[in-house]
Amino acid sequence: MRYFAGVDVGSTQTKAVLVDEAGDMVAKVLVDTGSNVVKAAERAFLEAVAQAGTRREDVDYIVGTGYGRFNVTFGNDQVTEISCHAKGIAHVNPNVRTVIDIGGQDAKAIKIDATGDVKDFVMNDKCAAGTGRFLGNSAEVLNLSLDEIGPRSLEAKVPVRLSTVCTVFVETDILSHLALGRSVENILGGVHSAVAARVVALARRVGIERDVALTGGVSRNVGMVRALEHHLDVPIYVSPDAHFMGALGAALFARERAMAVAG
Amino acid sequence: MAEKIEYRGHLHDLQKDLMNDYFDQMTRSAQGEGSPAVYLLISGNPVELLRAFDLLPVYPEINALQTAVKKQALPFIQKAEELGYSTDNCAYVKADIGLFYSGNKAPMATVPPPGLLLTNYVGCNVYLHWWEHLAELTGAPIFDIDIPFLRSLDGEPSREDLQYVVRQLEELIPVLEKISGKKYDPDRLREVVQYSLETGEYWAKIKMMPQLKPAPYDAYFDAVTMMGPLYALRGTKEGRDYFRAAYEELQKRVALQEGPLPEEKYRLVIEGPPPWPYLRTFRDMFARWGAVFVASSYSTVGGLWEFGFRHDPSNPIESIAMHMLKWNLTNRNFLQRYAQLKSYVEDWNADGLVIHSVKSCRLFSAGQGDMREYFARELNVPTLLVESDLEDQRYFSPAQMRTRIDAFMESLEHHKLVGHQR
Repeated sequence: MRYFAGVDVGSTQTKAVLVDEAGDMVAKVLVDTGSNVVKAAERAFLEAVAQAGTRREDVDYIVGTGYGRFNVTFGNDQVTEISCHAKGIAHVNPNVRTVIDIGGQDAKAIKIDATGDVKDFVMNDKCAAGTGRFLGNSAEVLNLSLDEIGPRSLEAKVPVRLSTVCTVFVETDILSHLALGRSVENILGGVHSAVAARVVALARRVGIERDVALTGGVSRNVGMVRALEHHLDVPIYVSPDAHFMGALGAALFARERAMAVAG
Repeated sequence: MAEKIEYRGHLHDLQKDLMNDYFDQMTRSAQGEGSPAVYLLISGNPVELLRAFDLLPVYPEINALQTAVKKQALPFIQKAEELGYSTDNCAYVKADIGLFYSGNKAPMATVPPPGLLLTNYVGCNVYLHWWEHLAELTGAPIFDIDIPFLRSLDGEPSREDLQYVVRQLEELIPVLEKISGKKYDPDRLREVVQYSLETGEYWAKIKMMPQLKPAPYDAYFDAVTMMGPLYALRGTKEGRDYFRAAYEELQKRVALQEGPLPEEKYRLVIEGPPPWPYLRTFRDMFARWGAVFVASSYSTVGGLWEFGFRHDPSNPIESIAMHMLKWNLTNRNFLQRYAQLKSYVEDWNADGLVIHSVKSCRLFSAGQGDMREYFARELNVPTLLVESDLEDQRYFSPAQMRTRIDAFMESLEHHKLVGHQR
């Protein structure tokens, strides 16, 4: 059996996916990126090979993606995360026309067709408002884990209105709401709403066409999914593998390219 | 992916020599030798009037961008910020003010003090305040030429607009006589305008050449090379000879079917000024995909020759006024700017449009979000909008820029592969 790999090196986490000749996902691995990007990419890839119960030599082609795609030094090729998220989502759900990908430090909206062809895309620039980092900083101020904040935000009765969308200043904003006696749930409701509003404004620039999917690390946050649905007023599709969409797309590109090479 | 071997020809080397001569003239003027300097602005510049009095044109915009290309602008920008200029101010202004406070010593020349500060275009209110600051710092007089915006839908200036500008240029003449110590000579002005006419003829032909496939040069990265002589040397024999030589060199390339890259895979149009401190990096980001720019709006900031403008030696002052009013990109309304880019996409046979939005220049960047939507959604032209700055290197993030460009090129590549272009 031949395999094809995608390694998605994100700012926070590195994902590796292996697909087989049929394009089915046979392994998925998630590791923290940390400070040694090359090592993280290698570790994620080797763990995926082990998970699939195969050998390094059986992987025909490797595509790197994500901001650290050029650090996948053992890879054959690089493709941007925009093309990879589009490719991945079209594979798992061909009805998707708009992909919202929220990662550790960027947010993007991608318009695609049924084959995963990118029609248009927009990304945040030079600012982490509307990204995973905003949620991460908020969780830290409230002394909560990332896994806790989403579910607890759903319990908000009267979400607070944050005065800033700045990832740096949100800390003082949250502290002032705590000082005013607002509940953690109401503050988290406000935090999720602020990120959703920012991302939706970005997504409207490419035009929202159904179905809409959320991918990237933040897709695991149920509070964020609900906040986006509320702001967009459409249901959002979240694949169980949403976090791995970039790596899956990269693996599918690897498979395509290996087959093109083989003729 | 294509090798990034780019075209460098005689026109690049000759430009370097000519611009070095020009910068030497600036240094000599600063030392009190040679001609007095008049500061003016690129947009619709009336450089012919200065040349007719043998005055030296000095463009603070050129000084700022030359400093940025050499990656030496940041200390000047920071100097201006220390003085209280906001981070949101135009970085050309800050680099220039910082340069003044650093003894006017730019990497390529010592900039002479102005004998006159000519605001030849006031559509950008920053220009006016910039010159006011320079007037306060240097004590030089300001002469303000008020150019009315083109207000009609067809983009034609009215008879009154034209008379209004002509009258102001006539009022400028005695001021130039005083500064130069020379009497106004209409024959000399006609001679200067004749050189500009011939320069414009060659430049217009050069700008049309990238309609051919392959384009013989990059109409962004190589065109900016030719923009220096177009402003600094227009109205002189050296300037005319430069454009004749460039035209002849490019004609040979057309005959040999040579392009700026080993292979022209994609033809793109670009809107907006270049990121000067990262010009090479930015170019390589496109070159590695085999993408060539076949037209650029930025190369028309000093005039729109390829759309028909010519100076007229039989009616010199009126033709200079028409240049400033009608044939000046930044004086045009949005519909005209859209039409210009649409013409580039269609008549120059482009695969897509890139909009480089800059933080410094609100005048240029205003409306580019709508422009992106108009081209992407209404005309179905693949369009990429990227943001950085023309002068301040702190606003250029290479990794982010590359991801956007790569993603855009990946989708263009896919379009080509599956054969469903626009």
